[in-house]
Amino acid sequence: MSDYQSTEKRPSLIHGLLSFILPGLGQMIAGQWARGISLLISVIVLGFLSIWTIAQRARFPDYEVSTRVFILLLLQAGALLVFLIALRYLLGRFFIKDVSGQALTQVGLGIFYVLALLLVADSLIAAAGSASDISQVFGSTGVLAAGALAAFWFWQASDAARIGADIAVPSMIPAVLIACVLIFVLGWNITKIDLPKAVREYRDTQVILRRIVWPWQSAFEYETQAVEVSAKIQAPCPEGAEGPPANQPQEDEAYIIVTPTCGELTERTLTGSIELGTELTIVGGNFAPGSTVEILWKNPIGNPFRPRGVGETTIQVGPDGSFVTNLNIPSAVIPDTAAGAQIHTLIVRQESAVVFTGNLSREMNLALVGMLETIMLGLMATFFGIILAVPISFLAARNLMSPIVTTLSGVAGGLLLMVPALWLAFIGTNQISGRIGGLEGAPLVTASTAILLVAALGTLGWRTGSWGMRTLGERAPDILSRVVTALVFGILGAALGYGLGTGFSRGILSIPLGPEAAAQLETRTAIAGAILLGTLSLVYAYRKGVHGEISIGIVVYAIVRTLMNIIRSIEPLIWALVGIIWIGPGPFAGTIALTIHTVAALGKLYSESIESIDPGPIEAIQATGANRIQTIMYAVVPQVLPPFISFTIYRWDINVRLSTIIGLVGGGGIGFILIQWIRQFQYEPAGIAVWLITITVAALDYISSEIRERFV
Amino acid sequence: MLQVEHLTKIYPDGTVALRDVNFTVEEGEFLVIIGLSGSGKSTLLRCINRLVEPTEGRILWNGRDITQANQAELRMIRREIGMIFQHFNLVRRSSVMTNVLSGRLGYTPPAWSLVNRYRRADRQRAVQALARVGIPDKAQNRADQLSGGQQQRVGIARALMQEPKMILADEPVASLDPVLAHSILGYLEKINQEDNVTILCSLHFLDLVQRYASKVIGLREGRLVFEGDSEDIRQMSDERFREIYGEEAERLGA
Repeated sequence: MSDYQSTEKRPSLIHGLLSFILPGLGQMIAGQWARGISLLISVIVLGFLSIWTIAQRARFPDYEVSTRVFILLLLQAGALLVFLIALRYLLGRFFIKDVSGQALTQVGLGIFYVLALLLVADSLIAAAGSASDISQVFGSTGVLAAGALAAFWFWQASDAARIGADIAVPSMIPAVLIACVLIFVLGWNITKIDLPKAVREYRDTQVILRRIVWPWQSAFEYETQAVEVSAKIQAPCPEGAEGPPANQPQEDEAYIIVTPTCGELTERTLTGSIELGTELTIVGGNFAPGSTVEILWKNPIGNPFRPRGVGETTIQVGPDGSFVTNLNIPSAVIPDTAAGAQIHTLIVRQESAVVFTGNLSREMNLALVGMLETIMLGLMATFFGIILAVPISFLAARNLMSPIVTTLSGVAGGLLLMVPALWLAFIGTNQISGRIGGLEGAPLVTASTAILLVAALGTLGWRTGSWGMRTLGERAPDILSRVVTALVFGILGAALGYGLGTGFSRGILSIPLGPEAAAQLETRTAIAGAILLGTLSLVYAYRKGVHGEISIGIVVYAIVRTLMNIIRSIEPLIWALVGIIWIGPGPFAGTIALTIHTVAALGKLYSESIESIDPGPIEAIQATGANRIQTIMYAVVPQVLPPFISFTIYRWDINVRLSTIIGLVGGGGIGFILIQWIRQFQYEPAGIAVWLITITVAALDYISSEIRERFV
Repeated sequence: MLQVEHLTKIYPDGTVALRDVNFTVEEGEFLVIIGLSGSGKSTLLRCINRLVEPTEGRILWNGRDITQANQAELRMIRREIGMIFQHFNLVRRSSVMTNVLSGRLGYTPPAWSLVNRYRRADRQRAVQALARVGIPDKAQNRADQLSGGQQQRVGIARALMQEPKMILADEPVASLDPVLAHSILGYLEKINQEDNVTILCSLHFLDLVQRYASKVIGLREGRLVFEGDSEDIRQMSDERFREIYGEEAERLGA
């Protein structure tokens, strides 16, 4: 309001109008291209987002209807805004002149705005909700979204009017705020937030929540002590039968007396009608006063059951320990072949005290074993992770890798001899493992033999090859080693190109052409790729020459880093799925999943701490004539040891946490048990598992932070 | 003993650190290199043991060309040349003993280093070296518990472990206060005179140069601009010194 009075320039109506017709047009004409275009894009994006959201969430997934309704709402909201703006303008123009009145009126106006908006919005929501094809959810979201969009629309029009009149460029904050409101409204809808439902249905949660929060009764075994008293009854009761003798009252034991002791069974006819059996009178005494007893029926074969439809079976015992009740003899199938008197048994059972045995329940045992499995899973994954991540992290440390350069011919020679050396290593491994029983017979020996042979022979081949080529380059004519280098790289490039060509045909060509046509082209694309890459690398290697240096260290660094980044950005949960497909559900699958992720995550942390070390000691140790291994042992390791320990413990902490999650998808450990209990609605055992996880994680958290503080 | 011929170093970013530098060092000399910071002193010293790879030129060490040596030969040459640094470059978390012993790495089989093993004679030598620089009682302390002057003495002890024929000292006293500077340079002088170890040392305090140098070379923007013996330096006027050295030249405790 003060703007109207303090500035002499009036807002430019024409710019405002242009922007009102097409958002951002006024700004563009006034020369503010970027602002205009971004406003136009904002309006379009917000509008379509609103319509799309509403169409998805409304009961009718129909864009046409939802668009129509939304535009209707937009117009209504626009009309309301115009009314409010006009009101404010009129008030400012004719009524409010002095400053105190202004302030008062602005507060009043603010309250009026809010009230009017609430009123109109509420009635709109009600109207929308009552309309047959519009849901309540759609109504409120639609109204709010339309209101916010209309406000945005008006704001950018007024913005254009001010810019057009060359009044200072207004701040974008109101636009950003309005856009935030709009996105908030849509987000509310998309995430299906329903606060009334949350309040309404909370009560149902309490029952379950109580069992999860304090589940310790299920953690232990209880035994119930029961007193059982029985009486014998003959049924059916043929003519002249007297039945078994009735019980007598006892002095200090519970007893029952059932009369008569001979009667007819309840008959259920085929038509569904019931003919009740003989009514028995049961008198009990010396039971625990005030307790309840259960009546059970045991047929002549010996199966007890609770009789139904023949009288009360749960009886309240009186204060003197006695009771009287009636029960008709229930129905029981007596086979025709049954011989002799059919004696049934009536049992009165009193469950007295529940006895705490002090033993852990089966569930508690399972949960404890699961927890142990989880901790061990995290431990093993961390252990394997360290073993693999330490060497990898040195390869992924830029400061260590970047000085490593080698000549092209060295690489060529190395590769030339490394291939046969590796082949020899594999043959050797097969020979040795065959003697000792192979991977199944002696897994550790076989695996370590394979690793040792491959590493030793591979390195030997590489070193001899590069040494040979270097010597060749120094002694023999330049052209010879140049040609050898070029040939090796040509062959390498061709092999790579062949693979890439095949992949191109299978992966990309098969999409538009179909797999059959692509398969026919496969050989051709592969050969084309081989020729292309082979020639390229041949020419590159020849031109680079024998002494041309390549930073092999940086190449290795880049490859290792990229691989680690890819592996790390795949969630452990997904690696767990891979592990489950690979190994089958269980803790080993979880260990594999966590190990893979740990290697990548620790490798990154380790290599970053290597990169941040003080280079001075490296220089000093190198200057003493130390070789690369000695330099790492004496200048790098002492510096990175504390961060390594710290990161390792941190990662172990994370791994135990993650392994509970991984269990949920089948990776073993307590999560595996927990998810089963949840699915079987066994909330108390689930509660025990949650408690154990919480305690373990909290304890680990504390321990790991303590240890890390000691070391760093 | 050491001949530097047409030495040029251009860093990958295009900085020319050294241009066609030529000089000769005789055995037993205490050669001081003077020059502004950024004039190429550090690069020159590091080119000699190839911590920095020279771009062009030759460095002859007792007739062998250091620049052409392969990795194994280079390690053999490096272990004959000790080096001490402005910031001492000790492994701060390791003990003083470990730091001193690491000077012996060039003589130790690499596999031994994986289990931190040294010859018994080397351990005795380390104790002697520490005694020689006056801190025999600090052997088991962690390096970062020592004061600056003590750390530089550990640095000297580490260089002594190499039984060097020459010591390169890159601004050995620039991080220390004046009294300590004399103490440290005193040790170097003693090594120079008693063991006949050649010293190549960069300094930038004029009175230190006058006091210790037997020969001086001056660098300016990578070029050799001055060459003279200690007599030349002693008779040199402050103006002439400043001319070579630049405006930052200062006298220590004058």
